[in-house]
Amino acid sequence: MMKTLVFGQVRDGKIEENTLGVINKIIEVFGSDEVNAALIGHQLKSEWTEELGKHGIKKAYTVDAPELEFYLSKPYVKAMQEIIKKFNPTLVIAAGTVYGEDLLPRLAVLNSSSVAQKVTDLAMEGEDILFHIPVRDDQALKIIKITSNIKFATTRPGAFFINENPTGDKPEVENVSVSFDENDLVVKHIEIKKAERTVNLKDAKIIVAGGRGVGGKDKFQIIRELAEALGGEIGATRACTDVNWVDETYEIGQTGQSVSPDLYIAAGISGAPQHMSGVKAKKLIAINTDEGAPIFNFADYGIVGDLHTILPILKEKLQ
Amino acid sequence: MKIIVFLEQIVNTQVKLYGVDYFDSSKASEDDLIINPTSKNAIEGALKLKEALGAEVTAVCMQGLKPIKAIREAIAMGCDSGIEVANDGLYNDDPLIIAKVYTKVLEKIGDYDLVLLGVEEQPTGAYAVSAMLAELLNLPSVLYAEEVEILDNSLKITHIIEGGRKIVEMPMKGVISCTDSQYFVPRYTSMRGILTAKRAVIPKWELSDIGLKTEDISKDAALIKEVSMSNIVIEKETYIIKEGEPEEMVEELLSKLKEDEVKLGV
Repeated sequence: MMKTLVFGQVRDGKIEENTLGVINKIIEVFGSDEVNAALIGHQLKSEWTEELGKHGIKKAYTVDAPELEFYLSKPYVKAMQEIIKKFNPTLVIAAGTVYGEDLLPRLAVLNSSSVAQKVTDLAMEGEDILFHIPVRDDQALKIIKITSNIKFATTRPGAFFINENPTGDKPEVENVSVSFDENDLVVKHIEIKKAERTVNLKDAKIIVAGGRGVGGKDKFQIIRELAEALGGEIGATRACTDVNWVDETYEIGQTGQSVSPDLYIAAGISGAPQHMSGVKAKKLIAINTDEGAPIFNFADYGIVGDLHTILPILKEKLQ
Repeated sequence: MKIIVFLEQIVNTQVKLYGVDYFDSSKASEDDLIINPTSKNAIEGALKLKEALGAEVTAVCMQGLKPIKAIREAIAMGCDSGIEVANDGLYNDDPLIIAKVYTKVLEKIGDYDLVLLGVEEQPTGAYAVSAMLAELLNLPSVLYAEEVEILDNSLKITHIIEGGRKIVEMPMKGVISCTDSQYFVPRYTSMRGILTAKRAVIPKWELSDIGLKTEDISKDAALIKEVSMSNIVIEKETYIIKEGEPEEMVEELLSKLKEDEVKLGV
């Protein structure tokens, strides 16, 4: 009997959407009988547990304490351990956000297990859970299993669909009390700096995005010019915003914005999962010097060439 | 202060080895071996701390076909010493095995303060070793670090989170995993460094030196087992233009877009 515990994550005042995707996938593969969630934080809202219930969670274990207001490894590990003891799950799973990737390997160690990461699919084979993990820039698929009784996994953001019409009931809620001492708080939270999102790319119909291949701050000009010629917005990978070639508001991907334009022109972008998890375009055109770049696997159209040669010609022909 | 950096040597991802072939070590040559880019970020982090605090930096490498090459490069970048750890029979698909070996290495080193690693491990593309190591050592840790600021008796670390960054403070003894950020952009090797690296005597620790046996690091000991690996067949049809003058390529793209009724512009 599969007993799954999903690590419930909250972001921007709501249940984080990859978590909902994980729940949907788990129910699809294992059925909905024993799918429970852990919700940890401070001043937890009933709407969050209700949202989890709507998506199929039968029971939510909550730990609510001031020490848990912000994610920190030690107190979160301690809270999860208490929940694991109570529920005794066979699988503990989290969306592979920074916090999910931080938490699950630690829990695996404490439960004499190991962790499957970047999982994009799961399947049952006899008693085993098969975890599907794309490797080598998504050129190959590795399938693994974990042999310990309790298994841990994190999933690749954007890997699973969210149930758009959830109809579940309010879940049972069990509040678990956990106390913390100063040893749990050796690493101290100072502040969270939200990236400035002054431009909302979510509704953009056309996006011209640049990656590391653009090569410099000044060189980003051609991306702007083409976007302007097309009446679209610009976008960028983290590699570009991190070095300030472009303002961080334009970052697209796991740590940036998620976009779903009609047309996405990817220039000098390799197509790493961290970026692509934020891109759901109807049509994608890729321009890259490296024919083997994974971006061509996502593209509908591609030109193998230097963006600094191709884009000016494209811009000129459009005008 | 003593800093240990764990390096991973990988086959350069730029090599023309597709999918499964990339993982076949017999297909790679020595020239293809590089330090994992995020391990280099960790070296840079250690060297910045060395400059600021006068720390001593030891580079340790176990993973790879020729770890000694990675260690020499790390010394050429500015690390003070290196240790090679024997990897015969190592099953590196299970991050727990790697983390356990690192724990044993640190036990033997004994006296250390900070442990730095790159954020991502090849070949799994996973991020678990740093977190597992911190848990096994029961040390404070910050993963996904983007910048480190030195305070009087602690470190102020900025790390990545979805939608921004978070700043935390941690003691000077602990584990940090470093990302590919502006702060951790690795420096080049120096001529003086290359000469030092050439002369450096790098000890090789056998598994028995750290209290382990081959069985402890083999597939039998692993809790994660590979069931299969196969190339992914891409079903999506991509219209790729590879040849021609740039002008012709753009023309071809535009006429194909027109044919498919893809609108350029809003």
